[in-house]
Amino acid sequence: MRYLVRRLGHAFFLLAGASVLAFLFTALAPGTYFDEMRLNPQIAPETVAALRAQYGVDKPLPLRYASWLNSVLHGDMGFSFAYNGPVAPLLVVRARNTLLLTITSTLFAWAIALPLGVWSAERLGRLSDRLLSWGTAVLLVIPDLALALGLLIVAVRSGWFPTGGMASVDFETLSPANKLRDLALHMILPVTALVLSTLPLLVRHVRASVADVLDAPFLLAALGHGIPKRTLLYRYALPAAANPLISLFGFSIGVLLSGSLLIEVVMSWPGLGPLLLEAILARDLYVVIGGMLFSTFFLVGGNLFADMLLYWADPRIRAESNAR
Amino acid sequence: MKRVTANLKCCWICPTVLLSLFVFVGPPAIAFPQEQITKEELLVLPGEVGRPGGRLVVSLRGEPKTLNPLIAADARSREVIGVMQADLVHINRARQQTEPALAKSWKISPDGLSYTIVLRQGLKFSDGQPLDADDVLFTFRVYLDENVHAPQRDLLIVSGKPITVRKADAHTVVFQLAKTYGVGERLFDGLAILPRHLLEKPYQEGKLGQSGSLATAADQWAGLGPFRLKEYVAGQRLVLERNPYYWKSDAQGNRLPYVDELVFLFVPNADAQVLKFQSGETDMISQLGAENFSVLSRQQRGYTMTDAGPGLEYNFLFFNLNDAGEKTSPEMQRKQKWFREVKFRQAVSAAVDREAIVRLVYQGRGAALWGLVAPGNRRWGNEKLPHPAWSFERARALLKEAGFSWSNGPNGESTLLDSDGKPVEFSILTSSSNADRAKMAALIQDDLKQLGMRVQVVPLESRSLLDRVTQSRDYDACIMGIASYDADPNSDISVWLSSGGLHLWNPSQAHPATPWEAEIDRLIEEQMSARTFEQRKKLYDRAQEILAENQPMIFLASPNILAGAKNSIGNFRPAVLEPYVLWNVEQLYLKNGTENATR
Amino acid sequence: MRVRRVLTRWLVTLGVLHGIVGFAGFFAPYDPVEQDRKSPYLPPMRFHLIDGQGHFHARPFVYALKLREGSFDRYVENTTEPQPVRFFMKGARYRLLGFLPCRRHLFGLENTRIYLLGTDAYGRDQLSRLLFGGQVSLLAGLLGAGITLSIGLCIGAVAGSFGGWRDSLLMRLAELFMALPWLYVLFAIRAFLPLAVSPLRAFFLIITVIGIVGWARPARLVRGVVLSAKERDFVRAARGFGATHGYLFRRHILPETSSVLLTQAAILIPQYVLAEMTLSFLGLGVPEPVPSWGNLLSSLQQYSVLVSYWWIYLPALAMVPFFLGYLGLASSLQERGAAYKIESRIWGI
Repeated sequence: MRYLVRRLGHAFFLLAGASVLAFLFTALAPGTYFDEMRLNPQIAPETVAALRAQYGVDKPLPLRYASWLNSVLHGDMGFSFAYNGPVAPLLVVRARNTLLLTITSTLFAWAIALPLGVWSAERLGRLSDRLLSWGTAVLLVIPDLALALGLLIVAVRSGWFPTGGMASVDFETLSPANKLRDLALHMILPVTALVLSTLPLLVRHVRASVADVLDAPFLLAALGHGIPKRTLLYRYALPAAANPLISLFGFSIGVLLSGSLLIEVVMSWPGLGPLLLEAILARDLYVVIGGMLFSTFFLVGGNLFADMLLYWADPRIRAESNAR
Repeated sequence: MKRVTANLKCCWICPTVLLSLFVFVGPPAIAFPQEQITKEELLVLPGEVGRPGGRLVVSLRGEPKTLNPLIAADARSREVIGVMQADLVHINRARQQTEPALAKSWKISPDGLSYTIVLRQGLKFSDGQPLDADDVLFTFRVYLDENVHAPQRDLLIVSGKPITVRKADAHTVVFQLAKTYGVGERLFDGLAILPRHLLEKPYQEGKLGQSGSLATAADQWAGLGPFRLKEYVAGQRLVLERNPYYWKSDAQGNRLPYVDELVFLFVPNADAQVLKFQSGETDMISQLGAENFSVLSRQQRGYTMTDAGPGLEYNFLFFNLNDAGEKTSPEMQRKQKWFREVKFRQAVSAAVDREAIVRLVYQGRGAALWGLVAPGNRRWGNEKLPHPAWSFERARALLKEAGFSWSNGPNGESTLLDSDGKPVEFSILTSSSNADRAKMAALIQDDLKQLGMRVQVVPLESRSLLDRVTQSRDYDACIMGIASYDADPNSDISVWLSSGGLHLWNPSQAHPATPWEAEIDRLIEEQMSARTFEQRKKLYDRAQEILAENQPMIFLASPNILAGAKNSIGNFRPAVLEPYVLWNVEQLYLKNGTENATR
Repeated sequence: MRVRRVLTRWLVTLGVLHGIVGFAGFFAPYDPVEQDRKSPYLPPMRFHLIDGQGHFHARPFVYALKLREGSFDRYVENTTEPQPVRFFMKGARYRLLGFLPCRRHLFGLENTRIYLLGTDAYGRDQLSRLLFGGQVSLLAGLLGAGITLSIGLCIGAVAGSFGGWRDSLLMRLAELFMALPWLYVLFAIRAFLPLAVSPLRAFFLIITVIGIVGWARPARLVRGVVLSAKERDFVRAARGFGATHGYLFRRHILPETSSVLLTQAAILIPQYVLAEMTLSFLGLGVPEPVPSWGNLLSSLQQYSVLVSYWWIYLPALAMVPFFLGYLGLASSLQERGAAYKIESRIWGI
């Protein structure tokens, strides 16, 4: 229990630290955002005055941090100049789109990597294992930029897949079943690109950790007891090998928001990546900070989740932490 | 007895007459009273007659920010507003001449100072409310109100004084100018007539800026254009429906527009537009780059691509010639010493390979430019303007005359040195979102390298770019392009005048900084009030010559207008003035009937 | 040892690859920024041995390409004049390794220009740009990794040697940096720095930014090694003999970290090269006209280029042999490290 509390506190500290860094970034970046806002006739002067008071441009730094933190915790993450509206709803919509992509691809990647890795570890050193190693090596060395661009060229040349975007013209008018089909069609290419870029590393790690465990004496004993191979692999070996894999899974969760930036930009998927890039090019400060905070939150959250999972799954960790 | 008969006869005739009057005239008069009082005076458009029905889908690069003409500053909003609003006098985009719109006719007084405009009668806004002179009065009052900060205000100020408007009767309005205005009735083009019944209250409350946002309910917004608001889905599309009260009809008397719905799809960039058009999701495409045009022209399946010929866009390179204040760094001052030297600018102009720009950037679909008036402008170009050929020798000779010299580096390359012996280095800003201008910058960079200048190309986001050039004035050189919205020189006035905001090399001057700029100011002001075309052309020609002699803007090239549409779209006639394909949207129709043909 | 042989093999492969890129001036036929405005988007030329008349040529030749009539990017081979390829030709001046002026190139043509990988929008030879671009991208990766490892070494050593509050503070800071999304931070920092700088300065700016952002993981690993090395018997013995901190560090602890650092280098270098490519691809990296592998690909963001000119895609695959080499190097280093140290497993390398 204390372990969990410690990890929670740890995560909290990380978030606080990240928020300080993010705030320093906003404070140090040049630009007079409120002057720009005043020039925009669509924003009523009262709104500008309220925002100015809220962000307290003239107050000392710690007070500004406190008021900024306060507004962030209340869900107000600033004002975007490129999109002429508050940042938070913008981020939420885009993050949802990104998560749709990354959760699907993470699930697929793990669903493929686990059996593949176990199968390969079982046949360690044999031809099939070596072929798989070479296959993953090839995939690993192809930069995901090349993968994404290559798939895009395939889409454009063959015409089988929509070349970008998330939905067709008349998405709203389709029946729910067709809507799902349309969404799936648009998701095929980006998900493939993401899966192909993350799969090789996963397979290698699964293979390495399962291979480590396969040497253990308890497995030999179990084999001697006559337990069938498949049960042996999945119900005995895999859980024992789970420790590093759970950390890896936590990492996968952590990069749910930030790992797909390049692929989203190349495939025109309206997620957090293209938003951030546009914001960076347009010097739209609050969107950049908001995006970074969101992703940091996920990273920290992912690690925390992994720690919790580890605690629950691996009795050794529980024993270790209880012994302290 | 006789008296009674006489009375009877009288009595018989009068009622009969009355009765027949009643029978033949009365019922129509009673049943349709409106027709006699305010009959709709529709504008009949000549040309091909189409069939009603169907839906037209076009893509928009980005999202419009507002539907309110008073706030719209970006091109997307203006595109959408253009099909939802109407003006008094309209410039026909194909003929580049004015024609009556909401105004049935107009008369300019002999002294040229007052314009009497007669409105069409019986017209209604898209929500059914009638249009009359009060709406026109309200509209211009709002445009001219300083507190509203409408962008249209500057267009209505003639020689320093705003136009005055007064109502002559329910359908006649008189505009009074302080001085004769050579532009004439063209000035009314694009000035949308606003609905007083919807906007008067927000105006009085000072909330005009917040009306007409995209989230407005469809029944809370009205205009006189061919389409009215139906639905807005943020981030995806804007759906407009046919305005049943639109005041134009075709030659057969059918009320326009033909199509029932006009859908604007929001796409992130030009490439997405091409993809949507190629896959059949949109029906028309315009503002195409030459490369995308080639790609689409390769396999014209179900659609036809059209090259409408030279347009009005002009691209140019300019240097920072802003007045040096105390705030300018010594570095900047040193560079400006080069930039201010006329021979330096002339040398740069001589070194630019315009033909390569047309070939490599526009794939030949464009024209080299040596002046502001692009080939698409048939009436106002100065044919006598010199077109010096691309020549490094001439450039080097000019630089030598200006006191520059060359030093030879270790690798065999030479560096240009100024009269103090410092190497000539500067950066050219360009918009990061415009691939064409980035290419021009790279070509010019290479050309200037042959002269020994070291040039960096710095791509910057377009808003920051404009800010740097017009506000902070913190740059060396910049490549920009402007597309005139009208062939008349008046549309480029803020570029010509030294006090103009688009006089990019030194914008918004209080007094002209150089004698030639003062001369240009004088010529332009004079031609604005000149009465005849010949007078104006002579003055404008001279202004163009002065610009060519001094080269504050080094003109590069002008692209052709490229567009395409599905074969099922009838009356598709792209024009070289904005909006290139939607200028006759009310006449566009679908040949296949009500089905919007997809892939 | 077998591991040693494998290691040597990978080192040699990488050495050859880097050598080709390092001597780009020699292997590339032309200057990478030289434009040939008559030949935009030229497709790659093919070697022929048999000409149109059926004659066999001992020396391979190519045909010059010229624009098809009325087109702006379609070319036809001029089959009337075979252009024999000449080797070790004199051509454009360049500086071998940056300081030796040279004029010899591996191959070239006498009368016209040879474009083995086609040209880009301005008619610049893609092969030359690939080789010189490799110099930029690989250098960015190497220097960036150098910076990261130096910072990581210092901080990890300090944390491990001194322990106490310094250790805790530095490790918390490291965790914080590891918690930030690396690519996002990179982009944000790069974009908010001045854009109007000369290519050279922009290049160093990018390397510095890339290098600084990733110090956390190497620092943690170094700290782990230092901590474990401190407790080793021979170190204790040396301390017992009165060795100073500096001596211990230099003679005993530092060599232990070398294996970790080398492995990290082999992992980080390709990551950093990819980061530089991504930055340049998105327009935040090295500016025109300096080539970089990312720059070469950035025109693929335009649909018209993506669909019409396939050879522009090739630089994306240029990285593959390098990545493969580094991957092999990293695995064999890891194997070598694992063979000698059991502790490396505990610290999760």
